[in-house]
Amino acid sequence: MRSYIPIARATFMVGLVYRFGFFFTIVGNIVYLCVAYFLWKSIYGDTLVINGLTFNQAFLYVGLGSAIFILLKTYADWYISYEIREGVIANYLVKPIDYQIYNLFANLGSLLINLMAITIPTAIMLIGVFHVRVPSGPGLVLFPFSVLLAFLISFSMDYFVGIMGFYSESVWGLSITKEIIVTVFSGALIPLQFFPEQMQKVLYLLPFQAIYHTPLMMVTKPNQGMDVFLPMMAVQIFWAVVLFIGARLFYNQAVKVLRIAGG
Amino acid sequence: MTLIHIENLSKDFKILNRREGLSGAFRDLFSGSYRTVEAVKGISFDIDPGEIVGYIGPNGAGKSTTIKMMTGILKPTGGVIEVNGRVPYDNRIKQAQIMGVVFGQRTQLWWDLPVIESFRILQEIYKVDQKTFDRHMNMFNELVGLSTLYGQQVRTLSLGQRMLCDITASFLHNPQVVFLDEPTIGLDVSIKAKIRSVIKELNRERNTTIILTTHDLGDVEALCQRIIIIDKGKILYDGDIKKVNALFGAYRTLKLQINDFNERTRQLLNDRLCERFGLQNGITIAETEEFWTDVTIDQERTPLSDVLSFVMGNFTVEDVRILEISMENVVRKVYDGALG
Repeated sequence: MRSYIPIARATFMVGLVYRFGFFFTIVGNIVYLCVAYFLWKSIYGDTLVINGLTFNQAFLYVGLGSAIFILLKTYADWYISYEIREGVIANYLVKPIDYQIYNLFANLGSLLINLMAITIPTAIMLIGVFHVRVPSGPGLVLFPFSVLLAFLISFSMDYFVGIMGFYSESVWGLSITKEIIVTVFSGALIPLQFFPEQMQKVLYLLPFQAIYHTPLMMVTKPNQGMDVFLPMMAVQIFWAVVLFIGARLFYNQAVKVLRIAGG
Repeated sequence: MTLIHIENLSKDFKILNRREGLSGAFRDLFSGSYRTVEAVKGISFDIDPGEIVGYIGPNGAGKSTTIKMMTGILKPTGGVIEVNGRVPYDNRIKQAQIMGVVFGQRTQLWWDLPVIESFRILQEIYKVDQKTFDRHMNMFNELVGLSTLYGQQVRTLSLGQRMLCDITASFLHNPQVVFLDEPTIGLDVSIKAKIRSVIKELNRERNTTIILTTHDLGDVEALCQRIIIIDKGKILYDGDIKKVNALFGAYRTLKLQINDFNERTRQLLNDRLCERFGLQNGITIAETEEFWTDVTIDQERTPLSDVLSFVMGNFTVEDVRILEISMENVVRKVYDGALG
């Protein structure tokens, strides 16, 4: 594992090289936050609580959701499918490295740079400019761990889609489909509480809610007991492990296509 | 003891006739129609430690496929392949530690980072200790003066500088065997010479086995004692370079463009050249493209300058080019039994 740490460091450094990109992402995010602010303001009107969330909670949920969305956006699916399509993967196959772990660490580097350059400024803006109040409670302590698990889940999904590059040359369609499914079904766009009840039940069974809904609940309603949070994190751990192993098995299968049929 | 043992090795590609679109891609996941292409058809050879072997052949001959099998990327369809006593594709990670690879067409360096960072990352990946790393970098620095490039982003390097860095990287972990796939492609003469001397020096110093594929016969002449020629998946020749050297070392092609060229002048040129030098003196004439006549000359029998001055004296020549013999011509000559 130690030998993979320089990989994370390298992608972090690449991020620093292209620092201008952050500027635009932050500007874009400010616009998004403004739109979301006025949208949710008008949805709430004079109402204090909708679907068990106050305006403050709903906006915190959506605003922080966008911050996590950018945090987890490492474009792993795009990079991996590109590397497979262009044959760059041969360079990895002749090195003593594990492709999945390699990519995990590469994405960890991107995650850190996103955190520094985008997520933290967004969080500061939520509090400083939009005057969102962050309630306190034990959930806040669990939040960073929950985000880390969310990263693992999100990475495995991206990796899975990227590996599809062995089979299809047009992974971008799949990438966009995945993106939309994740954004909607995870609660990144609209809090899950706003979905019809039957649909909520289905969504809780899927891995997507473990990416956004779980960590966001720990911030919006942090003063619930551990008996609420721990099972939620157990579900996250479950999906993180299942998807990581699933993606690994899929890679082992897919790489045979290359190794048997040629690049 | 042999380092690489290959016996009756073959590789078929099953190529999927792909269906279109996203739904097609999904259906291709589960079923599809295939056609089979035989890329390598039962080749055998052994390579000893410390050899530099030129593995040459025209495009699509099966060179890269063989290299990919030796490096463990591809799984052979049939036959035996062992590198350092192990089957490459079954021991990919273990094997990776003892070999270095340069794919000339693409870099293994980190595009957006300064050169030195790539070396540091590779140092960690291959677990090279600091002392060995320093010694290696010093040695390379003496050979080619790389240290001035350390701070530069890889994407700003020239092709030649990048190739030197790539070669440095492939030797970093002191591998037993290095595969160089087209290391001089697209480079100018002086940098080619530099790369050749570096490869030669490393082979001498560390006794590293080197498998070199190239289209540049100059590389082969400069580096290899042994040469393997492959075409259409089969080995045409495997042996001492000296025998082959005569084939491509001595031959030159003289391309002539003659004023007011027509069928009559072509015939005249043909007749006059045959009369003066003739086939028995190693001259063949062919019309390869419009307005150009190719005269292939065996310099051991007829000096090129004689032919040139004869043609210049008797015809109005508009343009002249002199080419070294191409890979395709060498292969054709081998087919024609030139190596007996």
